[in-house]
Amino acid sequence: MKRFSRLILLILMCLGGCSADHFAEINPHQPFVATVNIGEPSLTFYDTAGNHIATWPFDKAYTGGTLIQQDRILMYGHQLTEAHLYELSSGKKIKTLKTGIGTTNAYYDEASRQFYLTNSESNTVTSYDMQGRKGKQQKLYNYPMSMTAYDGKLYVINYKDTVLSVLDSHSLKVVDEWKIEPSSHGLQVVKEQMWMGGHGQGAKPNETIDVYDLQQGILQRQIHAPLMPIAFARHEDNIAVISHGTSMLYEMTTTGELAQEIKIGANPFAVAYFHDRLVVAGYDDHMLYMIEEGQVLTQVKTNEGPFQLIVRENRE
Amino acid sequence: MKSFAKKIWVLIFTFSIITIAFMYILTDFLYEQLYVEDTESSMVEFGKRLTTKYKGGAVTNELIAEIEEHNNFGVYNVFAVRNPRELSACLPFEINHHALIGPEERKQLLAGEAVTKIGYEERFERDVISVILPFTDENRLEGILYLYYPLAKISELAKEEVLLLLACVLAFTLAVGYFIAKALGRILRPLRELQRAAKEVTKGNYDTRVAVTSSDEVGQLSDAFNQMAQAIQQEDESKKAFLATVSHELRTPISYVKGYSESVQNGTLTGEKAEEAIHLIAREANRMERLTNELMQLVHADTEESELYPLVLAEAIRDVVHLVENKVATKGIDLQMVLDEELIIEADEEKFKQIMINLLENAIRYSNPGKAVHIITTLEEPYADIQVIDYGIGIPPEDVPKITERFYRVNKARSRADGGSGLGLSIVDQLVKQHKGLLTIKSELGKGTTVSVKLPLMEE
Repeated sequence: MKRFSRLILLILMCLGGCSADHFAEINPHQPFVATVNIGEPSLTFYDTAGNHIATWPFDKAYTGGTLIQQDRILMYGHQLTEAHLYELSSGKKIKTLKTGIGTTNAYYDEASRQFYLTNSESNTVTSYDMQGRKGKQQKLYNYPMSMTAYDGKLYVINYKDTVLSVLDSHSLKVVDEWKIEPSSHGLQVVKEQMWMGGHGQGAKPNETIDVYDLQQGILQRQIHAPLMPIAFARHEDNIAVISHGTSMLYEMTTTGELAQEIKIGANPFAVAYFHDRLVVAGYDDHMLYMIEEGQVLTQVKTNEGPFQLIVRENRE
Repeated sequence: MKSFAKKIWVLIFTFSIITIAFMYILTDFLYEQLYVEDTESSMVEFGKRLTTKYKGGAVTNELIAEIEEHNNFGVYNVFAVRNPRELSACLPFEINHHALIGPEERKQLLAGEAVTKIGYEERFERDVISVILPFTDENRLEGILYLYYPLAKISELAKEEVLLLLACVLAFTLAVGYFIAKALGRILRPLRELQRAAKEVTKGNYDTRVAVTSSDEVGQLSDAFNQMAQAIQQEDESKKAFLATVSHELRTPISYVKGYSESVQNGTLTGEKAEEAIHLIAREANRMERLTNELMQLVHADTEESELYPLVLAEAIRDVVHLVENKVATKGIDLQMVLDEELIIEADEEKFKQIMINLLENAIRYSNPGKAVHIITTLEEPYADIQVIDYGIGIPPEDVPKITERFYRVNKARSRADGGSGLGLSIVDQLVKQHKGLLTIKSELGKGTTVSVKLPLMEE
């Protein structure tokens, strides 16, 4: 009997091993914040109170992921030739996208029901439909990466260049090009303005958020937010900015007035709003922080190198 | 490259050079290693003391200035950095500029460990030893303390001395070569001496000897050479003496034969005298025949291989006694035998008989008429002891040891009168040796002689 149960166990283990891409299922009604960890490639899911829900450990060197609608996550890697679509409710890989090496970012635009992948090898942006079918492709400048979509337009920063490309979100035709600082990263549309962060040039770290006029693409002003503001999050009229150089989290009004600031984490790269709270991931200290009114409510250990945050709120 | 000395010199010299080179490299390596290590650890220590100035929070301008102050007094270059761009904080984003520390070093620093590097640093455009220490606050890498020391200074330190060192090495090498050559000359001088002496011996100068100056292998070889030369010389001398004796022994009967035959031919001797002369000639011819026979025996005894087989001793002795019966009777000798009938020896029959004939003839020859001669055989494991005892004239004690030498006679004057050739005991001695036996001669002047021959018994 003992031997028999061992055999069963062995078969189960083998089955488990055979379906390595089958991860823990995530309840579709469960709101979560997930960290994309790139030190040890994985997704770690937490609920609103910061309790750990699940961990999806990957055997592929993913460098990022994005939520597509409510039940799918697209995982990509800069050194991988494929991107993969996973279904959260089943924990299964449902689609493989042949992207070629060099994927730098993925962005899902709810309005156009498309997602976009930028590629630093081909220096292009490519659109995909909800079924993962390849749509249009547009050649851009050196190293396209940071993206946001607004009002039928897709804004793409060419990271190793001095150009922001404005494209039509359907045709991917270039409609405008703005002159920007090199190593720019992080985009946030705020009331007909485009807030843009960046790392800075050479050894000099960037200290400001550059605010561009959305229509003209002209630099209007700079908001002091040292050092190296590179990620934004918006909740109603609050804009959260994370500056990884000084591990500073700023919360500002839409006019750029500082509402509060807090030193948080070690070298944080990601910020998000989750259930009216701010969530920050510290890349160097591998911690996830939940902040409310300038106070850290919860802090939990993540896997090594949390680089991005993926948030799913309750379905309305 | 013919000479042995040269070969050894080259060998030792090569080894010395290799040793010197190895020592040089080792010293250089150790020096640099130890020096670098020492520098590194004192840099870490110094750095750790400096980091105590950091009290947490952001790295301030004051702190940076304060640390840079130390460049005015300290040995090492030191500075503090808080720029996250220099600390590779932007990784995993690709960064175009070369940061002071790489991702692995950042990891190490975040863990609170010191980073030490040796090698070319682009920032300083030279080889340096660098020590980097973190300023961390709540897991944040707020800044680093960077200490460096140019490696060139260390190697320059060594380079200054390099010429002197090379000169010293050269001088030392030359000195080593010279002394090795000298020492080898000294060590090998006896060998050269031996070589010269061997050549001399080859030429026939058997009295050549070498001086033995040491007790080492070469000294022992010299000693052995001297012994060998002495043996050759002795052999040579005895050969000469032998030839002289042989010629002498033959010349006397020849001159008799020549003289008497001429006299008979001339008619000087006639009648009875001529008869007597012819008798004398015949006697001397017999003598010569016996002498040459015995010489032949001697040569044969030297060269011929003996075939040993079991021999009934008593029977063989009786056979011999039968052969000398005539002589015994002529001289009226009372020959008595006490023989152990059971003794069987390992012997060559012919050669054994020769031994016995020679011994018995001697005993008869040197016994006065009417005296007794005894033959006694006894068992003396593992030998059979055969004693031939006479009560004759005996041998003076000083002559006993030489009695087995060729042509040695106790009474030189009456050599031919008593009829002996002086070879009998030499032959006996040779033959006994061939049988792996023992020969002992005891004698008392005027009382008689006992010759004992011990021959190995047949092995059962």
